Amino acid sequence: MADPILQIRHVSKFFGGLAANSDVSFEMELGMIMGLIGPNGAGKTTLFNCITGYYPPSRGDVIFKGVRLNGLQPDAVCRLGMVRTWQKVKPLAKLSVIDNVMVGALLRTRKLSVAREVAMEQLHVVRMEHKAELAAGGLPIGERKKLEVARALATKPELLLLDEVMGGLNPAESDEIIQLILDLKKAGLTQMVIEHDMKAIMRISDRIVVLNSGEKLAEGGPREIADHPDVITAYLGERVE
Amino acid sequence: MIARPPRGAALLWLLVGAAAVAFLVVFGLVVKKPYVLHMGIMLFQAILLGQAWNVIGGYTGQYSVGHAAYFGVGAYTTIMLLMTHGIAPWWGVWLGMANAVLLSLVIGSITFRLRGPYFVLASISVAEIIRLAALHFKSFTRGAEGFLLDAVPSLRVLGTEIEFVGKRPFYFMALGLAVASVIANWAVERSKLGYYFQAIREDQDAAHALGINLTAYKNVALAISAAFTALAGGFSAMYVKWVDPNAFSLPEVSIPIVLTVIIGGIGTIAGPVVGAMVLVPLQEILRNPKGLVQVGILSSDSSVVTFLAPFANAHQLFYGILVVLVILFAPDGVLGVIKSSLRKGRRRREARPAAPAAPA
Repeated sequence: MADPILQIRHVSKFFGGLAANSDVSFEMELGMIMGLIGPNGAGKTTLFNCITGYYPPSRGDVIFKGVRLNGLQPDAVCRLGMVRTWQKVKPLAKLSVIDNVMVGALLRTRKLSVAREVAMEQLHVVRMEHKAELAAGGLPIGERKKLEVARALATKPELLLLDEVMGGLNPAESDEIIQLILDLKKAGLTQMVIEHDMKAIMRISDRIVVLNSGEKLAEGGPREIADHPDVITAYLGERVE
Repeated sequence: MIARPPRGAALLWLLVGAAAVAFLVVFGLVVKKPYVLHMGIMLFQAILLGQAWNVIGGYTGQYSVGHAAYFGVGAYTTIMLLMTHGIAPWWGVWLGMANAVLLSLVIGSITFRLRGPYFVLASISVAEIIRLAALHFKSFTRGAEGFLLDAVPSLRVLGTEIEFVGKRPFYFMALGLAVASVIANWAVERSKLGYYFQAIREDQDAAHALGINLTAYKNVALAISAAFTALAGGFSAMYVKWVDPNAFSLPEVSIPIVLTVIIGGIGTIAGPVVGAMVLVPLQEILRNPKGLVQVGILSSDSSVVTFLAPFANAHQLFYGILVVLVILFAPDGVLGVIKSSLRKGRRRREARPAAPAAPA
């Protein structure tokens, strides 16, 4: 078995007395898609923030490609090859779509012409080339979500973390994103995906981690998770006898 | 790709700019009235300061309202080196810029931990602290008395001696500096730096996630801005031949710098130029309504002059009103108003011609 690309070891995050994550551990293999699910407030986004350097974990370690990330800022984490998108999208509103993606591409080059080429390729990947010159602030939500992905891909990541990239999309748009995620997997990209749409997450994930009240409730393959009694309880409540 | 501004647009701007500079050079050679030259010098200095501020405020979105700190440091360093060590301002101003860059790194490392209004307040306080220090440490700064210079040493360029007597040489120097600042901003906008600065302005968290070291790039922006601001300070010291703690003044220096850019159009290259063209004449007319008489636009008994005279000491009141008006009615500055009216006009023209062509 290959070395894991990402190891989460006993990560806890406290805000005052509240444990947003407590003692979460799991590992990710190169090339896999890990689904991260759980009810609202389960600590999924907090975990993303701990992994990508927005908060230092209160306890525990995040190890990416053998490097311990504790204390590293998000920009350093991104340079190492891990990048995230935002649940609440953050377009650089006044810049054009292509300029948004170029900001990502400029991580690996100084030359604007090179960055523009890379950015165009990524816009092609999300099928938004024809929107290249529009202001990012004026895009509808579906395209803002795709722009987030293109911009993140332009930094040439080895691990992509997608935070509810299908949230707020219509079924056709969601299908397009699912196809995109599967295509990226085929191209060898490792991904961690937070999603509420169970059908989607079951379709794309190789493994799933379930968080509930900040703790890891279960981990396993999609089938395993779907049948897991604790997971059903967490989502639907206790069975009434 | 659809609407990336075509190469022609950049070329057009280049031609317009070159023509404007050529006109201003000829203008400076033929004009006789010192007051007119003075207005030109003030205009160019405001452009230089506005472009300098634009780097940190306009592109990077960090509203420093304490740029008097860098202006004053440039002015004091240049005049003190000349008067106490006999170092010519042509060298002294470089040291003034270096001092300002060092100061900006200190200020930046403290204040860039703060965001939004907290950063603004911190930038104001730091400049005020320096002004009070300049007033207090008399043995070093001569306190409120300041430094008064008799004459600016002449400059030898390629064997010719340029005497800095009268206003004309200062006019050309200021013009050169203003042009340099425009070119510098243009170069920044079209570089990786420009993209990163604007990313930080638009969303700091997103920029951070895309691998941008926020503190480092904010410091770079502030250092560039501080260097050009100190250059203007050094120039001003040599032109006015006097520096006192008011060089660090919030209402006299810091605020007009910010206003120039906000009035013109923030985060654009033409913005500070347009802003300076609005603010400087207003400032000069309000400060000295008789200037209009000297230029010959108005006669000395004109009602405009008698109306404006009592406001001579209240020009800051007008700044305040102007800011309110701009924020209410033209948040993107004069340039924004021009652009949106052009866009409206184009839309109307595109909508209309279909009608007469229709019968076929």
